[in-house]
Amino acid sequence: MLGTQLLVGMAEIQVSKEGPLFVCLGLGSCIGLAAYDPVARVAGMVHVMLPAAFADKPVDKPGKFADTGVSAMLEQMARLGASKSRIVVAMAGGAQVFNFGSGNSGRLDIGKRNADAVEEQVRLLGLRCLGKDVGGNQGRTMTFDSGSGLVKVRTVTSMERALCNLRGS
Amino acid sequence: MAGTLTLEDIVRKTTDLPSIPSAALAVIREADKPDASAQKVAEYIRQDQSLTARVLRLANSAYFGLARRILDAREAVVVLGLRSVRNLAMVASTYPWMIRPLKGYNLGPKQMWCHSFGTAVGAQLIARETGKADPDAAFTAGLLHNIGKVALSIWLENKLPAMMAMAVRDDLTFDEVERKILGFDHAEVGAYLAEEWNLPEPLVLAIRFHHHPDECQPHEPIVDCVHFGDYLTMSMGFGLGGDGLRYEFSTHALERLSVDPEATDRIVCDFVASYEAYEKLFQDLDQAA
Repeated sequence: MLGTQLLVGMAEIQVSKEGPLFVCLGLGSCIGLAAYDPVARVAGMVHVMLPAAFADKPVDKPGKFADTGVSAMLEQMARLGASKSRIVVAMAGGAQVFNFGSGNSGRLDIGKRNADAVEEQVRLLGLRCLGKDVGGNQGRTMTFDSGSGLVKVRTVTSMERALCNLRGS
Repeated sequence: MAGTLTLEDIVRKTTDLPSIPSAALAVIREADKPDASAQKVAEYIRQDQSLTARVLRLANSAYFGLARRILDAREAVVVLGLRSVRNLAMVASTYPWMIRPLKGYNLGPKQMWCHSFGTAVGAQLIARETGKADPDAAFTAGLLHNIGKVALSIWLENKLPAMMAMAVRDDLTFDEVERKILGFDHAEVGAYLAEEWNLPEPLVLAIRFHHHPDECQPHEPIVDCVHFGDYLTMSMGFGLGGDGLRYEFSTHALERLSVDPEATDRIVCDFVASYEAYEKLFQDLDQAA
């Protein structure tokens, strides 16, 4: 699969140990979380849409929510031989509208709430975060080349820039 | 450029203005009447062969999942209903030019469409759920809310980085920067075009005030529906351009719609599900564009 591209659509989880390029296109308030086990060489990415699943509604796609998506991705990676203790991650997205006028934004801050919820999951699961590009008012595209480990982020108006390398080199 | 060109100059000098076939405009105006006639709507569609072909292709798409093929406009109106056909006529009329890239806003192919259609679906959902506005009129208003960008794009080419820098430096929204540089913004240009097309007033208001619904006096629920639909679409990253999410959101619009902010996440889920269901509508449309 080396050199191939895996699009990670909204609420999707993709995992692989064959070195594809993971791509999260058009992240607005959603969060893209890239994960990698450098020993087992297992990689994954989840495109989280909302902070938390609803208590009264079955979860159709675990990747949709931060509180179900991050652990579901780790489980899928574990099935390919990854070990949670070795997994490192990087995250991007969580943009929000520039301002909320005179009113109180409250629950409307989806971007910030998503970023906080994903960070909370990363902390609870004991993962090490090597790179983070969240907030602001710009849409982002996030790529993770699991062959080289390189995570890059670009906005519509800015050049692509390296966020970090999940292989640690 | 500031102060050198009026809004009217811009519209007059733009060679690639968006257009809607007169038959489709007649459909909107007819469908907007309290005593709208299904027969008249079908007749207006039939006047335009290309529009008829696209409407029939949409009517026969997987989205509606009909057991048999619809063969003419009259049958489409009978089977799908007048309001659905009005929306199909709008989709069929706008899709060919909304899928073009808009360099001035850094929107690639289909991104303007993706954002406009998302706002249409969002505004329709909010109108239906709240019961505050006609869901089909809200759909049309959402679809057309950014038409001003199509006209302004060419005038903003290569200016976007400087405009965003100004927005950051002066702590402005993108439409405020447009007004500072041009003297008017894309919402005003869009409303001007909508008036030229003689669209019903609520649609013109929704286009003009979609970023500032509180300024619409008296308040129009359809304006609030489009404002919220636009917010949902931007938040989900559908068709974001260089202006990104650099706009203001009015929480007063939510209060007027009686939408509980606590329900935002559920609305987002319903919105994305609705949008994804609608995608079946377009499986064949590229061939018809």
